[in-house]
Amino acid sequence: MISVTPNTSNVESLDLANLTPEQTALEIRNLNLHYGEAQALYDISMNIPKNRVTAFIGPSGCGKSTLLRCINRMNDLVEICRVKGEILLHDKNIYDKNVDVAELRRRVGMVFQRPNPFPKSIYENVVYGMRLQGVNDRRTLDEVVERSLKGAALWDEVKDRLNESAFGLSGGQQQRLVIARAIAIEPEVLLLDEPTSALDPISTLTIEELITELKEKYTVVIVTHNMQQAARVSDQTAFMYMGKLIEYADTNTLFTTPAQKQTEDYITGRYG
Amino acid sequence: MAASQRAELGASNVRLIKDKAARWGVTLGGGLVLMALLLIFFYLLYVVEPIFRGVEVEHQQSFAVPGQGQTVAMGMEEQSEIGYRFADNGELSFFALKQKPGTDWQPGQVLLTEQVADEPTAFAATQPQNKRYAYAVANGQARVIEPKFRSQFTNGRRLTTPVVGFANDGDLVQVDPQQRTLKQLAYEYDGESQLFAAVTADDKVIVNFLQASRSFLTGTVELQSKFAELPITGAVDNVKVTPDLSQVFVRQGNRFYVFGISRTGNVSERQILTIDRRRYGDITSMQLLAGASSVLFGHANGRVTQWFEVAGANGRQYEYIREFQAGTSAVTDIIAEYYRRTFYTVSANGEVGIFHTTSEANLYRENIDGIKADRVVIDPRANTLLMQSGDELHSFNLENEHPEVTWSGIWQEVWYEGYPEPQYVWQSTSGSDDFEPKFSLVPISFGTIKAAAYAMLFAVPIGLAAAVYTAYFMSPSVRKVVKPTVEIMEALPTVILGFLAGLWLAPLIEQYLPGIVATIILIPLAIIAFAAISTVLPKTWRNRFTDGRAALILLPIVAFVGWLSFELSPWVEQALFDGNVRQYITNELGITFDQRNSLVVGIAMGFAVIPTIFSIAEDAVFSVPKHLSNGSLALGATTWQTLTKVVLLTASPGIFSAVMMGLGRAVGETMIVLMATGNTPIMDWNIFEGMRTLSANIAVEMPESEVGSSHYRILFLAAFVLFIFTFAFNTVAELVRQRLREKYSSM
Repeated sequence: MISVTPNTSNVESLDLANLTPEQTALEIRNLNLHYGEAQALYDISMNIPKNRVTAFIGPSGCGKSTLLRCINRMNDLVEICRVKGEILLHDKNIYDKNVDVAELRRRVGMVFQRPNPFPKSIYENVVYGMRLQGVNDRRTLDEVVERSLKGAALWDEVKDRLNESAFGLSGGQQQRLVIARAIAIEPEVLLLDEPTSALDPISTLTIEELITELKEKYTVVIVTHNMQQAARVSDQTAFMYMGKLIEYADTNTLFTTPAQKQTEDYITGRYG
Repeated sequence: MAASQRAELGASNVRLIKDKAARWGVTLGGGLVLMALLLIFFYLLYVVEPIFRGVEVEHQQSFAVPGQGQTVAMGMEEQSEIGYRFADNGELSFFALKQKPGTDWQPGQVLLTEQVADEPTAFAATQPQNKRYAYAVANGQARVIEPKFRSQFTNGRRLTTPVVGFANDGDLVQVDPQQRTLKQLAYEYDGESQLFAAVTADDKVIVNFLQASRSFLTGTVELQSKFAELPITGAVDNVKVTPDLSQVFVRQGNRFYVFGISRTGNVSERQILTIDRRRYGDITSMQLLAGASSVLFGHANGRVTQWFEVAGANGRQYEYIREFQAGTSAVTDIIAEYYRRTFYTVSANGEVGIFHTTSEANLYRENIDGIKADRVVIDPRANTLLMQSGDELHSFNLENEHPEVTWSGIWQEVWYEGYPEPQYVWQSTSGSDDFEPKFSLVPISFGTIKAAAYAMLFAVPIGLAAAVYTAYFMSPSVRKVVKPTVEIMEALPTVILGFLAGLWLAPLIEQYLPGIVATIILIPLAIIAFAAISTVLPKTWRNRFTDGRAALILLPIVAFVGWLSFELSPWVEQALFDGNVRQYITNELGITFDQRNSLVVGIAMGFAVIPTIFSIAEDAVFSVPKHLSNGSLALGATTWQTLTKVVLLTASPGIFSAVMMGLGRAVGETMIVLMATGNTPIMDWNIFEGMRTLSANIAVEMPESEVGSSHYRILFLAAFVLFIFTFAFNTVAELVRQRLREKYSSM
């Protein structure tokens, strides 16, 4: 049995099943996903609240990353992937035919498991998204770089070498750079796909602290296989198993008094 | 337990041996590859090296001048075994030049002496290769002598015996009908007719053309004399006639007269040239170069100037071309070689100089072995030099295999005989022996670059576009088919491509030129236009053609535009180009049009290069890590933005490599350029003209070049240049690729 320290921050509990529109960032409705013949997600429905950190946990292959990738339609890149159901962002189904995927992804940013800076300078990495929007004004970009790097708690470390290659940074710094790059275009939702799994414990701690700060401005959804991390950073947690959403509740509730037997088995280390 | 441990150790020993063997095997293989490369490199250098060697003169024999009197001319037979000497008393002596096994010859031993003319008043020698000599005797008459050599083989040994031969059956020829004594004589012979020029005792210059006419019935040759007196007064220094019997040169100090002789013997004044005394110095000697197109003047200040006819406003006129510094004292004698443009000078202070006109090479300038030379002569093979110094003769072994090649002659403009100006010319062979070979590697190097450039112009856009599309947009299942198919194209023998290009594509392009040009311009435009139209289509419509299926709609458009271009081609030709584009281009635009031109080569060789570029570039684009492109897409980039801003940047080292590999292939490609161009070594970027490349040049000329000749070695030099070309391209490509990889490598 592992001990899990639940999030002790004083966040008021929300009624996740009945959120007001102001409280809601995303609504997932009856989402089914198939990879070819195999079904990966079964009828998932959940509300993701605004300016909160929501964690998806579950054993490997449970579909938590797949679900996350549905939120900014990164699954579109997988040719054999078919999605049924709805994900509402501001009451608009992102799977509608006339949705501009690029615009959706601008509003729903994503950070991947492995740091993936572009082969460009630190500066150019941060302003990449801005340049895509056609913003080339130097002063605006300078401001964005400073704000984003400060937002990602990286500014002090790199402010003197903005024009050096991003590959010169350490793994943890690279991951924060990638977060800075994601928040530079001010998305509404930030998806983090196991953002610390490739990092050392110190960097992990820094990123975790950063995540807690990020929710002030953004809705954060994080996938993690590390239950302590979920417990430390998230406000509510969804436990998934075999493509199904087993339990979705306040992090405190889920880790201390899980309603489902499967959840309890998982968090007490019976499998995973 | 212990036993099993030993067994394990035993097994690991075998593994160790295998590991060692593998390591040595791989090292050996790598080493052998490197060695093979070095071997090629050094073999090429080994064959090329002699052309840059200097002249070597090695003393052979010294002996007393055989015979009486003063020497007027000397010569040697082909094997340099026997020499001969004409004396001013009319005596011709043959003498041995060296000891010869099977004979009792001693160097200088007289083998035969004959009085060939009585009390001669003047002497003339033809150009060396004609091997005739003439003595003027009393009453304005002359006798023509031809030293001959008979070879017999006894017991497998060749024995050469000298024979005195006479032209005109030994009869005296009446050069001057007025029977004046001849002070100077010039003589030439072209196989049938003969031309005498002479200066009489009263300083008149006369010409006598003995025209041969062959009797149809008996086949005998009759000589008809045609006499003329040249309008020159005063003492004359030199008289010369050209071996083609078309010109007579007369020199009076620094004044140089050129007279033309027609085939019927009529004399006309061609040019009177005053050679500036202050600029060039006083003339002390005069000689015709082999081939007799150039006149060489030796000057009192030690210079030798070369003059030949250049077409100008007043027709072909002799002009100053170049000069050589043969020493500081007056040039007393100039001796031309038999076939090559090499000449030898003797200066007043006894220095001997060896020069080559075409390559402007100063090969040698020295008092050979400290001996003061009075007169030198060269044998037909130009490997023995016979020198008279006072009463002594000295023979020298001469090594001067490749005087016509110098580094500057290969890479710089050279003023060749008969050309209006210095040019880069490659023309290695011709029908005649005394032809001036033109070995400039510039036109063929240029041809290589031109062919490669046009091929790349065609192959790079198509190859890269195809690679990017296949790697980035195509669905994996289609890619699995397309990629190997394109790569198989690489295995297509280029001889087939060349064959198709030369025999099918070239006439097709000629016939449908407007159509081809229209296709090249219209297809990209049509694709862009279609893309523009598709953006205004409703979204539901557009979404139907995502994930690479858009290409399928493009295919009929490309096919239609291509078909339309060809269908309209004759109409366009009729309407805009008076019905014949080829004639229009040649006559109206003044552009030369060859059927086998750079456009054909560009397309055919481009076709050969595309698979190389495609394959490497496709790998490069495809191997860009997915997490990079996903990172870009996740930031709201479109597929196109991701491609241009991240994927191509990351793949740039590979793409660059692909282009350079393609370029390397295009530069070295032989069969296509050989078969699809006219192989004309011209220097012109005109897309409608052909070219000759280094590789094609080697393939065309190597079979016909004599092993060890300058031509042969120059071809090896061309191979070496090609080697350096590809080596340089690949090295630069690798360096740039390394730099790019350092900059853009992703983790």
